[in-house]
Amino acid sequence: MSENLHHRAKQLFDESLVEGVSSADQSWLDAHLRDCAECSREIARTQQLLRSFRNVSVTIPRDLAARAQLRVRLRAQESAQSSPTSALLWVLTAASWVLGILSAPLVWRVFAWFGSQLNLPKPVLEFGFVLWWTVPALIAVAVILHQRSSSHGLAKRTDA
Amino acid sequence: MARSPVLFTGLMTDERQILANGLRQRDPEVLDRLIEQHQQRLYRYLLFLTGDPALSEDLFQETWIRVLERGHQYNAKSKFESWLLAIARHLVIDVSRRKKFSSLEELADPESHQPFEPPDDHAISVLQLLVAREDEQAVQLSLLKIPAYYREVLLLRFHEELGLEEIATVLATPISTVKSRLYRGLEALKSALPEGAA
Repeated sequence: MSENLHHRAKQLFDESLVEGVSSADQSWLDAHLRDCAECSREIARTQQLLRSFRNVSVTIPRDLAARAQLRVRLRAQESAQSSPTSALLWVLTAASWVLGILSAPLVWRVFAWFGSQLNLPKPVLEFGFVLWWTVPALIAVAVILHQRSSSHGLAKRTDA
Repeated sequence: MARSPVLFTGLMTDERQILANGLRQRDPEVLDRLIEQHQQRLYRYLLFLTGDPALSEDLFQETWIRVLERGHQYNAKSKFESWLLAIARHLVIDVSRRKKFSSLEELADPESHQPFEPPDDHAISVLQLLVAREDEQAVQLSLLKIPAYYREVLLLRFHEELGLEEIATVLATPISTVKSRLYRGLEALKSALPEGAA
């Protein structure tokens, strides 16, 4: 029997496992296997290999699912507690920006008035105006960072 | 009366949609049920990829935390299992990059042709202990001798019995790549198996 026929049989068998073959190809393969002991043996070995592979069972560690369920519930509770605070923080930040933009001309006038009363140079006024804008944002960042570090600490304690 | 395929597909989609809603709402009951339902499959997948039971346990828990946090991203178009395994896979790749597991790093870029290093003897012996039947150990050990990206597709196809499209979803790769990895993986598995085994 030609080497090509064995090769084709092997190829068709692999194809049937991976993506399936047409009924004509399957019939050809079946006929070939009836006549070829070598290919039959080889294919039986692969089939046995795959059967053993399918039968491989893995022992799951005890309580693995229960531990995962507990951890997921704790994490869900934790984020449920922190999310209203985060939402409130976002709303306050947005409101602060809107009010800041609307009040900027007025604030600048107040700064200018104080500057003229105290005879302060313009760069000092500008620096004060910049601080007026950045300090609330820096405080908000500090609050968020503090919240995050507290929640990470809680998560680590929970994991431990 | 037999269910028509169209009706059956419709029911499956409805179930997935209910599941997607539950995940979006971070419903603890839904998550508990999913953990129960998919524990075996997920742990097995992680164990086969890493060969390390302790690491697989950690990744198992981390995967479910990700499911909780990214549940809103599940769009119900694909099977939940595929989405779950894709999350687990990303975690394995992240860990392997951090810990420099060469065999697992190949999962991210198997076409890099880096030399494959089999898992260490410790990983193999631990895995041996976890395999329930002795006659399955030959297959198990052969699996550990082949590259991780072949091991992965073989597991998904012949153990988890996922379709080619589902495997492509898990791997985020074209179906043609899945097929070629399956063909090469089969060859590699047959060659790795000792004569007379299986």
